[in-house]
Amino acid sequence: MPDLYPSLLQCAVVATALKVLLFPAYKSTDFEVHRNWLAITHSLPVKEWYLENTSEWTLDYPPFFAYFEWALSQAAALFEPRLLNIKALDFDSWQTVYFQRSTVIATELVLIYALHLYVKTSPSTKNAHCAALSILLSPGLLIIDHIHFQYNGFLYGVFILSLVLARKQATVLWSGVTFVILLCLKHIYLYLAPAYFVYLLRAYCLAPDSVWRIEFRNSLKLGSSIAAVFLAAFGPFVHWDQLPQLLSRLFPFSRGLCHAYWAPNIWAMYSFTDRVLIYLAPRIGISVDQSAVHSVTRGLVGDTAFAVLPDVSAKVTFFLTLVTQTVCLIKLFFKPNWNTFIGAVTLCGYASFLFGWHVHEKAILLVIIPFSLLALKDRRYLGAFRPLVVAGHVSLFPLLFTAAEFPIKTVYTIFWLVAFLLAFDRLAPASSHARVFLLDRFSLAYITIAIPLIVYCSLIHKVAFGEKYEFLPLMFTSSYSAVGVTGSWLGFLVVYFSS
Amino acid sequence: MASQQSHKPRRRKRVEDGASTHSNHGAIISTSRSKNPEPAFPLVAFLWPTKGTVSQWVVLPLILMAVGLFRWTTGLWGYSGFQTPPMHGDFEAQRHWMELTIHLPLSQWYFHELEWWGLDYPPLTAYHSWILGKIGNFINPNWFALHTSRGIDDPTLKVFMRATVFVSEYLTYTPAVIIFLRRYTRLQSVNTWEASIALVAILMQPGTILIDHGHFQYNTVMLGFMVASMSSVLAGRPWWGAAFFVASLGFKQMALFYAPAVFSYLLGICIFPRINVVRFLVIGFTTVLSFAVLFAPLLLGAVYDSYRGIPYQSLIQPPLLQGLSFPLNEKSLYYPILLQLTQTIHRIFPFARGLFEDKVANFWCALHTFHKLHHYSGALVQRAALLATLTAILPPCVIFFFKPHKELIPLAFSACSWGFFLFSYQVHEKNVLLPLLPMTLLLGGEGGLLPSTRAWVGFANLLGVWTMFPLLKRDQLTVPYYVISLLWAYLLGLPPVSLSAYHEGLEGGLNLATKILHVNFYLVMGVWHVMEALVSPPTNKPDLWVVGNVLVGAAGFSICYLWCLWTLSIKSGVIAGIWTQRDERKVKLKEK
Repeated sequence: MPDLYPSLLQCAVVATALKVLLFPAYKSTDFEVHRNWLAITHSLPVKEWYLENTSEWTLDYPPFFAYFEWALSQAAALFEPRLLNIKALDFDSWQTVYFQRSTVIATELVLIYALHLYVKTSPSTKNAHCAALSILLSPGLLIIDHIHFQYNGFLYGVFILSLVLARKQATVLWSGVTFVILLCLKHIYLYLAPAYFVYLLRAYCLAPDSVWRIEFRNSLKLGSSIAAVFLAAFGPFVHWDQLPQLLSRLFPFSRGLCHAYWAPNIWAMYSFTDRVLIYLAPRIGISVDQSAVHSVTRGLVGDTAFAVLPDVSAKVTFFLTLVTQTVCLIKLFFKPNWNTFIGAVTLCGYASFLFGWHVHEKAILLVIIPFSLLALKDRRYLGAFRPLVVAGHVSLFPLLFTAAEFPIKTVYTIFWLVAFLLAFDRLAPASSHARVFLLDRFSLAYITIAIPLIVYCSLIHKVAFGEKYEFLPLMFTSSYSAVGVTGSWLGFLVVYFSS
Repeated sequence: MASQQSHKPRRRKRVEDGASTHSNHGAIISTSRSKNPEPAFPLVAFLWPTKGTVSQWVVLPLILMAVGLFRWTTGLWGYSGFQTPPMHGDFEAQRHWMELTIHLPLSQWYFHELEWWGLDYPPLTAYHSWILGKIGNFINPNWFALHTSRGIDDPTLKVFMRATVFVSEYLTYTPAVIIFLRRYTRLQSVNTWEASIALVAILMQPGTILIDHGHFQYNTVMLGFMVASMSSVLAGRPWWGAAFFVASLGFKQMALFYAPAVFSYLLGICIFPRINVVRFLVIGFTTVLSFAVLFAPLLLGAVYDSYRGIPYQSLIQPPLLQGLSFPLNEKSLYYPILLQLTQTIHRIFPFARGLFEDKVANFWCALHTFHKLHHYSGALVQRAALLATLTAILPPCVIFFFKPHKELIPLAFSACSWGFFLFSYQVHEKNVLLPLLPMTLLLGGEGGLLPSTRAWVGFANLLGVWTMFPLLKRDQLTVPYYVISLLWAYLLGLPPVSLSAYHEGLEGGLNLATKILHVNFYLVMGVWHVMEALVSPPTNKPDLWVVGNVLVGAAGFSICYLWCLWTLSIKSGVIAGIWTQRDERKVKLKEK
């Protein structure tokens, strides 16, 4: 047994201390969203959960998450019953803050357990331990959960649990069930469902030696258990004829291509190019859509219109996502081992993040977290991982814009990057394949640029322009991060297909 | 052949002595269960991956970032006097000094409206406030507008003020502690890795974080100069030690707690082993020069202001000046200088105030509970305090004077400042930071991480922060209090989180009596917290819990004083007989 210090538990204790100290930190409207859901689930019958709309933050997560909120609300009733009033909009007494923030910390125990299981089942305990610590201490989770306010620690805990369960043939069924439960907690994980589908199909429902022989017993077990989970989640609502209403809450298609702040994906680069072309177009004789140029809210509010480049429809984004996912899944189908599975999950995350419709910057964790489990496999993986973590975490910075939280997000992220990139660098074994040396130079140069970028966005811009051109730092951040995420995607594709 | 050489693989540089040094100062234990060495307490586990080959250029920034995060997040919570009119608190005092120093001529600083947080710290604080005020005024003039900004609680001002504490600390205290530890650990032949562990433990000291970054003060600047002074002495530059000590004293008069120790050491090295007149003169000269530099801006400013015609005749004469037997010519050139100097001293040393402020866990306040001291005249009490203080500080100072050895510095400083804290006049509960600092520095010494030292340092620190709980609770810092102190206790493997330092059969373990003593104190502290939280005191004794806190605290601190004095006597060889006896016993034990 190698020295596994500091242990997961030790890190969890110290991280918890920091998280408790963050109680009075800035919290986004998501705090009120979850307070409202606590109130809805506590004071209304299940039948009315998805109909209630006093607050603008209506319940728009799947039923299991609503039950989860209901369970929390039982505890809330003992601690601060006033927060459970649907009419108490924006209620945030200190008891409310303490309660809600503590539930985030407490439910993160699922993540710790999942990571513990991951380390225990890994062939290289030392490397797995390091990767597990990197996830546990992830700046993404700290920024999104413990400052901005969400329950990702818990949800990613369930997610990692299902990934770990997929490792052994004996527990593959449970992996599938856990994943379906996860889907009924938060439907964003649907993006990763194709990888699960292919893996479960090939590794569980079809015979190991032949694609043509179906394992009927396994298929029946898997099918019935998945159906049972879905039935438990959605059955009651089907019974009350509320399915269309529920689905319209879960999938609001009326939103625009890019979220308020562009997530660092292909469309951010597309929008950036369009922005640049507005100035270049008249010189090279392309017509510019003036109405789009003058819309003040451009790039800042959901509905993005393009001035020069053609508009992008939802269908196009889905098509692109599906195509890029399918290509990776073909390999998984023919080589259904755990590493390829994790690679495919990561690539599904990449594809949906890069090409998806109305992607949030927070969704980058869908890529970073599964990738972390693979990053230490060898140095080529690490090469693709590095720009991803820099870009991914820098792109989260605009989530927190208050002065008091600035040192926390930057210092914590730099701390994490230095500690874990150096640790990974020492631990990752050399690869048996040749490396593309250009990628290394690219990623080093890329990481270096992050420093002046952060300095500009957080300091120089305000001094130079004041409140004017507020979109500029945001645009730079997302375009910069988009380059990193795309670059690491390409790098990872090469590694995935060549190994 | 040349081509072969060019293919030589890059060699990883071996970093200093890291794990290659075999001496163990308490970070590692080998249990009988497994042959593998294990971290002795959780903090060691966190630095485990850096053992051996990781460069200090990586470890140090990581440590500074990590401890910085805990400081900054503590700062998100309340501060002294937040939304508590009429007088607010220390936050307002510091802000007000920035306000008055940037708006008023130098000669008025120590005279300006004394009833509203008049400046009563030495000149270096005033200059420091002036610089910070200038910067703050550049960012937002409303924060420091004259008169109108009183009691302001703008959240961005809070961020600015927190940042000033943070930056001031990282420019003084942090580098001083790092350099001190580098020298001290080398002197005590402790390896770099264990020095890093001690560094984290010292920088995470709960009291310092909670008072400076929670309650709001700039103690770390004063403490930083003090550590710099010790560090210079360690490096064999006592004159710099004197200069830094003056800076410390010039920032906050509370550094006087250390003065007797500094004085005995500096005098001691001029006499032992042989009389060194040159050294004496150099030290004396730098001390005088430092004081001159410290007061020069203030006095020159006063002269300049009188030259400009800013009236000073209207300023009330300080008692020191009134008490002079001969008349002064108010028109003369020296008058503004004299006026300024006497006023500063009058403001800095408030003899007019009481024996102790609020409730503080020292001898006088404890005595006061049983025997009311306000029956006695002020002069008598002052004299009694002086006598008691002298008695308490005499033994450590005498030892230090006759044995001015570098390795005794932390012990002598802590014994001396404990004596001061327990018996002197006008002590605040926050002043416990002064004796705690040198005592905590012991962690970087020989065997400093062994239970024999760690448990005592931990005991003093946890007791210290516990006596400040009533103050921190008023500042809405209850949650950070629990988090920061329990975290420190956890990291160092101490009660109430862990009893690992009190196990049987450890290398450098404690004796049974000490264990019983410590555990009982921890129990009392725990029970006190439960009582204080759940049971309200009887109506005729509303201060019952606070008084209980003071009594327990005073008793514990007296024990800490005695421990420091005892250890100092042993380490200095004054109690040589006992020392050798113990050694013999140890040898016998080993033979068994």
